[in-house]
Amino acid sequence: MRHARIIFDGRELDIDIDANDRITTSDGQRLGVDLDSEEITWLPPVKEPGTIFALGLNYADHATELAFEPPKEPLVFIKHANTLTGHKQVSYRPDNIDFQHYECELVAVIGKAGKNIKREDAMDYVAGYTVCNDFAIRDYLENYYRPNLRVKSRDSLLPMGPWIVDREDVADVNNLRLTTEVNGKITQDGSTKDMIFDIPFLVEYLSKIMTLNPGDMIATGTPHGVVDMQPGDTVVCTIENICSLETRIVSEQEYYGDKY
Amino acid sequence: MTANTLVNSKLVCVALNDKSQLAALESTFNQDPYKKPPTQPVLYYKPRNTWSVDGAEVEWAKDFDGNNVPAMVVGASLGVVIGRETCRVGQDEALDYVGGYTIVADFSLPEESYFRPDIKGKCLDTSAPVGPEIVPADTIDNPDALTVTVYVNGEQKNEFPLRNMQRSVAELISKISWIMTLQPGEIIAVGFAGDRVPVAQGDRVEATIEGVGTLTNTLGGA
Repeated sequence: MRHARIIFDGRELDIDIDANDRITTSDGQRLGVDLDSEEITWLPPVKEPGTIFALGLNYADHATELAFEPPKEPLVFIKHANTLTGHKQVSYRPDNIDFQHYECELVAVIGKAGKNIKREDAMDYVAGYTVCNDFAIRDYLENYYRPNLRVKSRDSLLPMGPWIVDREDVADVNNLRLTTEVNGKITQDGSTKDMIFDIPFLVEYLSKIMTLNPGDMIATGTPHGVVDMQPGDTVVCTIENICSLETRIVSEQEYYGDKY
Repeated sequence: MTANTLVNSKLVCVALNDKSQLAALESTFNQDPYKKPPTQPVLYYKPRNTWSVDGAEVEWAKDFDGNNVPAMVVGASLGVVIGRETCRVGQDEALDYVGGYTIVADFSLPEESYFRPDIKGKCLDTSAPVGPEIVPADTIDNPDALTVTVYVNGEQKNEFPLRNMQRSVAELISKISWIMTLQPGEIIAVGFAGDRVPVAQGDRVEATIEGVGTLTNTLGGA
């Protein structure tokens, strides 16, 4: 089963989506609408988002691309809900920068609280998986708590969704094709098998430091193949058997409107 | 996270905002891996598992083998509580968006490096008590004139006049609001004395700001 949050017909709804793409609301109503309908507004799929952990340099080829040695310990940074937006929504490119890139990532959504979780038990704490696009503004990188919040904590720069797939519906999460298309052309093509620190490792690692809670998310990093984005570009991040996440880039002025 | 935390959704802390600390570390910050001193506020989050309250015990951290860590430290800061949605505000109007003030204590492992996000050091359960209460913004004339004092077991350990901050409260609110839209109840810990105070198991820590209150917590593990 898949789970999402949408606005449809003026109502904010928690929905389940079955194997035949049929949509049922949390109060049992069947919605007669297709998943690709323009009448659906997709919200970020985690209803009460908690702490968002994101991984840097967690694919060896991407670490090399950025001229870094692959890390011996996970490089983890934290994000909050202000960065989240949904499928088919917009993200903005700040004015006067040279390099903003997408990062297509598999996300593990935590479903159960735990601390000091052992690797062999780790998957019991994962409710399901989704896809995010963890945009970065490389111009803003500084060598203090890098990647710093100015790079990674901006409004709208973490699209996620469209849905969460239940963990038990994904046969081998460590062997999924991951692709990104910009304006219809494939620019990133990797596999989750190339992750340096896998989900059980990360659950064990983080839970040795702190309690993980339902609604926390772990965005597991991105492989080689990042390119610059411009307003007007459409980027689609896809992970096989999970979902495809589409985002349109707009200017800072278009995004903030009268607050610009 | 305790059910009665004063924090709503986000606690942003500002590191390296003590002028004397920045001066002392200047040569370090001109070398690898930093290469040059910070040009922007140095920010980190205390996530929700860290949030706690006045009077609560702070857990003594464990290392990855499950043993007590050898050392912990504490810093204290004025906590600026956002009163209404704050998006891309100017420094001159920034204080209009403050709903109130409180005190934030940041218990952590000793700060050894500022290069990577310090998840292991900063994200410990119960390590961010906030309180004792939120005083209304209009009871504080000038937040940059306040002084934060830390006592351990009744003995004064440091005193940080906020006029020694590299960036003022208004400048920080403005700069952060250009990165992220802040919501009511979100809190910014605007600056800590550069010298964090070593603490031991069982210590009683008080952080005081005149007009804001005294935040009292005890270290566990004794």
